[in-house]
Amino acid sequence: MDKLTEVLKRKFGYDSFREGQKEIIENVIAGQDVVAILPTGMGKSLLYQLPGYLMEGSVVIVSPLLSLMQDQVEQLKMLGEKRVVAINSFLSFEQKEMVFRNLSTYKFIFTSPEMLQNDRFNHALSAIRIAYIVADEAHCISQWGFDFRPDYLRIAKWLQQFRQTNVLALTATATSKVVEDIKTTLLMREPFEYIHSLDRPAIAYEAIEVKDAQEKLAWIIGRVSSTEGPGILYTQSRKKTEMYAHELQKRGIRVAYYHAKMEQDDRILVQQQFQQGQLDWICATNAFGMGIHKDNIRQIIHDHIPTSIASYMQEVGRAARDGAQSIASLLFTATDVEQAFYVAMQDFPEEADIRLAYESENIQLQLPETTTRILDYWKEELKEQETIQLFQTIKQKKWAEILALYTMLQNETCIREQLLRYFDEELTKRPKYCCSKCTIPLQEILVDRKHPPEHKEEMNWKIKLDELLHS
Amino acid sequence: MYFQQLLLLIIHKFQGERSSTAPYYLLKGKKSGQTIQDVTYFQLHSYFSLYPKLAKETYEEAIKNLHAEGLIVMNESRVAITEKGLHQIVSIRRPFYSGWILRGKEFIFWGRVELIVQTLSQFQGNEKKFVPVQKSNEIHHFVKVFLQERDFQSSSFGAHFKKQLFHLLENPLLLEIHRNLFVYRLSGYKNSGLTWEQLASHHHMTVLDVKFLFIECLHILLNDITEEKYPDLHALTKGIYVQTPLTDSAFKTSKLFEKGYTIEEIARMRFLKENTIEDHVIEIVSADPTFPLQAFISKEQVQKVLHIAQERQTKKLKIIREELPDLSYFQIRLALTKGEEING
Repeated sequence: MDKLTEVLKRKFGYDSFREGQKEIIENVIAGQDVVAILPTGMGKSLLYQLPGYLMEGSVVIVSPLLSLMQDQVEQLKMLGEKRVVAINSFLSFEQKEMVFRNLSTYKFIFTSPEMLQNDRFNHALSAIRIAYIVADEAHCISQWGFDFRPDYLRIAKWLQQFRQTNVLALTATATSKVVEDIKTTLLMREPFEYIHSLDRPAIAYEAIEVKDAQEKLAWIIGRVSSTEGPGILYTQSRKKTEMYAHELQKRGIRVAYYHAKMEQDDRILVQQQFQQGQLDWICATNAFGMGIHKDNIRQIIHDHIPTSIASYMQEVGRAARDGAQSIASLLFTATDVEQAFYVAMQDFPEEADIRLAYESENIQLQLPETTTRILDYWKEELKEQETIQLFQTIKQKKWAEILALYTMLQNETCIREQLLRYFDEELTKRPKYCCSKCTIPLQEILVDRKHPPEHKEEMNWKIKLDELLHS
Repeated sequence: MYFQQLLLLIIHKFQGERSSTAPYYLLKGKKSGQTIQDVTYFQLHSYFSLYPKLAKETYEEAIKNLHAEGLIVMNESRVAITEKGLHQIVSIRRPFYSGWILRGKEFIFWGRVELIVQTLSQFQGNEKKFVPVQKSNEIHHFVKVFLQERDFQSSSFGAHFKKQLFHLLENPLLLEIHRNLFVYRLSGYKNSGLTWEQLASHHHMTVLDVKFLFIECLHILLNDITEEKYPDLHALTKGIYVQTPLTDSAFKTSKLFEKGYTIEEIARMRFLKENTIEDHVIEIVSADPTFPLQAFISKEQVQKVLHIAQERQTKKLKIIREELPDLSYFQIRLALTKGEEING
């Protein structure tokens, strides 16, 4: 057994690498800059974790999403790695100082882009040995997308002090334009590029046009109560997650809803119930999914047209991690395009907002925090008219993207082919079960529901306590 | 229903002398002079700070419902229970809370128990890698030390711990629903706890109902835990009881009184209004019956105030002051606070 496979087995418990993983890891160890694009669920975290065990020094991982960071830390701890820390705004001043003083004792240091501007942190970093730097969710660096995180862009300046350290950029989705942005911003020198196909052959696509919301509900009830999960039903509002869950519960389905307004404890319990098979379905907003480690999700249903093709791919990609046949179904009505656009625009500053932001220093606009940050960033960089123009352009692009998705669903062309083409990729091998346009008998994929409708048993604390602790 | 009755009980205790926001601040545990003073005036210690996270909208919704059902009457400045409302609570079981000394910290105890049970259960299932339901680092650290100090991987510890839990839950003060909420909220190997929503729908109650029942359950259990009876569980109660019931600010003020400064001096030193310092005095007197009052009010004056309050059956400052115009509002408040200690 070679050294890499040996570490893979010992630290992570796998027998062999997945496609591309070994190549990427070898390049990281060799001191190369690397850009790796892999679809969701293809073992991205292993790429930055494994080389750490074969190199001296700490791995610094810059991660723009706090919830994702938390999950990555937990996953490492579960693998028995104790030398891991997340440095972000959740830490108190004292906690931060404590971590900074002992920085070299950590093998994996996770941090948010905002923290890169903290002088004390940078001072502590300069005193330790860094194996390599990881830019996770690297597409957020690109200024031209709406996932843009201005603080992430400042990573360029920060990297100046680590010119000798190589960088690994990871993302699930990036068009060729975004890849160029990533390479420039991260000051990469002739990086090794690995672009995995975004195709997930085990997922079949299905697009169903219906008349109205009532028909959607009827279709969903029919599908969920007659076929096997586990599955996720994605919808756009908290109210709807609760409505669907309620309707399905009435029909004996083991289902719960999930959205960002729930208490953290309850969100975790729902996640775990789903992961452990106590629930078959989750009705969720797009807040659900990050950090879900479940291999056997068989169905993903959308009751709407998503606002971005990349996020649609990500949500669909939560199915079939085990490689077994699964299906993604999307229900839409003719008016859903406008609805999608409306939802997407909620986070956008209006022209009037932009003018106000330029007129006064401390104006409180009714905008999400991420939007405010983007606006603050451009305020420093551009003139008022240019910023208005820029957002106009992003807006038009967004509209075009949503329209493109709608066209894909509606026309007669293969859904898989069109999705891939959106990311500049050609379909090379069509799986047996492709999509509803390729007229395959999709019914073959679905397994008839075996579970009898659930009926609630009386609670009995003594029995439950015996189940939890049996000695 | 449970929460509704709880609210009625509290409103009843306020004797129609406070507005409808007073019970809200009481349940939230607002550390203002008014709320702290009311705790003593109306003997509301057990309900103080029962649910610090209570949302204003949720509360207002509940009050609106009570009003719509004719269980309370209210105007801008007062809320009172109606005949119909009284009827609802006259024969109910009296809830058992210790809000004043716990102030929401019973959930630290709960978090520790939850993580220990999850850990023991996972180890018994031979799945030592797991994601803890508890996210708090402090609780992780506490439990780690707790388990390491005991031979937790031995079957005898698991059995012992379970036995203690079992006995604890057999407390006759508990209702069956308390026990079920407690145990079904726990997580373990291939066995996740239920969400509030799931617990509520199972019992055909509201989420708020089950939360307050759950809190009551914790308070009943905690009240029973002594070192002799439950040595391991007792260790989990470390640091959850309020040491000094004073707010930090009032504590600082009390230290300055000990050194002999006056209200005016303390206000100047601390850059606070005299009103605030007066609130602190009320708070200090509420917490410490031995705190000397001579500097603020004489014994005779206290007696006069209490006499009028008794005679007129009121705690309204304005009414009392009409008869004793020489006293300040602050002095009347002090006297009433002192009075509650004597009577209550």
